[in-house]
Amino acid sequence: MTAENGIEVRGLVREYKKGPRAVDGIDISVAPGEIYGFLGPNGAGKSTTMRLMLGLDHGRGTTTFDGMPFTSLTRPMTQVGTLLEAKPFHPTRRARNHLRMLAAANGLATSRVDEVLEQLGLTSVARNKPRTFSLGMGQRLGLAAALLGDPHTLILDEPANGLDPQGIQWIRELLRGFAATGRSVFVSSHLLSEMALMADQLVVIGRGRLIASGPIEDFVKTSVRNAVVVRSPQAADLVDVLRREGATVETTEPGVVSVVGLDAARIGDLAYDASIRLHELSNRVATLEEAFLEATQGAEEYQAHQAQKTHRAGETA
Amino acid sequence: MTAALAYEWTRIRTIRSTYWLSAVAVVFGVGLSFLVSMGLHFSMQSAVPPKPSELTGIGEGIATQFAVFGVPYFVAYILAMIAVFAWGHEYRHGMVRATLTVLSSRTAAWAAKFVVVGAWVVTVTLVTTLLSMLVGWLWLHGDGIAVFSGDAWGALARALLYTLVFSWLAAAFTALVRNQTAALVLLFLWPLAVENVISVVFTLVPALSRHSEVTRFLPFNAGGRIIAQIPEADGFLGSPLSVAGAVLIFGGLTAVAMAASLALFHRRDA
Repeated sequence: MTAENGIEVRGLVREYKKGPRAVDGIDISVAPGEIYGFLGPNGAGKSTTMRLMLGLDHGRGTTTFDGMPFTSLTRPMTQVGTLLEAKPFHPTRRARNHLRMLAAANGLATSRVDEVLEQLGLTSVARNKPRTFSLGMGQRLGLAAALLGDPHTLILDEPANGLDPQGIQWIRELLRGFAATGRSVFVSSHLLSEMALMADQLVVIGRGRLIASGPIEDFVKTSVRNAVVVRSPQAADLVDVLRREGATVETTEPGVVSVVGLDAARIGDLAYDASIRLHELSNRVATLEEAFLEATQGAEEYQAHQAQKTHRAGETA
Repeated sequence: MTAALAYEWTRIRTIRSTYWLSAVAVVFGVGLSFLVSMGLHFSMQSAVPPKPSELTGIGEGIATQFAVFGVPYFVAYILAMIAVFAWGHEYRHGMVRATLTVLSSRTAAWAAKFVVVGAWVVTVTLVTTLLSMLVGWLWLHGDGIAVFSGDAWGALARALLYTLVFSWLAAAFTALVRNQTAALVLLFLWPLAVENVISVVFTLVPALSRHSEVTRFLPFNAGGRIIAQIPEADGFLGSPLSVAGAVLIFGGLTAVAMAASLALFHRRDA
């Protein structure tokens, strides 16, 4: 099943009686055919946002999946597959029975249960109790539940948690294959390197607010860590020339400067005009982690500040 | 609603506690009736058999593990744990989010639990009472004691009703507190300790003893009257309570708890 309209989130708000809003007016558009990575520091409101989208938590705003609110879906698993918990099952209900139970709610055949168990590599443990499962195995069972109804949309909260490198690579390929068939994937993760490899689009939130959304390359380009590295035996002269042109120049080591505000070609021309010899002229592209840390710096500071206040309050008490 | 019933039906059948609690209820109930029937049979064969007046209501007693004589109906207590687990597992193991992402109607998910749990405990109670009556008949039919009597069938019907209402109350309370440990503690503590202590206080304290009749309105005290046969029942809500009055009080409390649990199930975050 493919999604024509993807996910549309408008004006999502979650507030509690005390404290700031956990989610504060978030708008998100998830187009089919691409993987949307959902990033934010701890406590930014990612899980709350996902629960609001699915109608599990109460708040304001609307979310539609292929044009329909979640609570209007008659057989939700066949349209939206979800993974919200690290181990979303009863520890003594056998893995296959857990999936049979979910399948029963959506009129899915038991043969489909066996198919996803096979797809997720769980056939050998299908009759085991999940309490014996590792975190990674638990995640696989959660993913099996999400995929059970062959939905057009996946909402996954930290699906790579507890998976080993092979497991992470496997889930990346699984989600890429899923999106390639024209379906929607909205996935949160704190593994930024993994997100850089997996996601096409990013949605970044902090303190419950949308900080950035768009293609991952555009997000990384906004980082001040994007710079041109120049190595020159006349570095001091070069610094003067570049600063006169309005660039921000930082000497990173003797004879090496990092330049922001001018591209490599312009730096090369300016050095040539000033008869300055260059031994290296290269672009340094910021990592997703650097861009993310910059973008969410305010939120992190807020968290630290809040934690400090809470700690002090605890000490006083 | 069909989807929710299918989900709940598979849920209740794929968890071990459903089976061992049901088995404990049947074994306890039938075993107790078996032992008492056997003892009674040998008494009837003895030199000094019980007088016919001492055997009044024995068929109803065997069917209900003597709850008709005021003994707590332990079969209902055991089966109420299935109702507690039906909601308790949702919150203890975070299953409620899985449930509400496969069933988009909270009302259907809520109703299906009560319907399926109710059907299950009524069925197990029916099996327990029928088997109890059967073992009673096997021991006593040669002794001139009627086990499959009209009164026994009436006691059976009241036992089914009591177990159903008790399990719904247990389920509703667990859904309200979202904590199966608290629900289990209260399920046993309230009827078996708290209400008895209150009754004793009303009996022993002179200033209260004149008003001890009000303890008939204590919920589980009233609930017990659904099964207990007290011939001198006087009026609808008189003292002691009539069966209809008992149903009104115990069932009314259950209805209020169920309505509150549904309202909060809708209102709370999952």
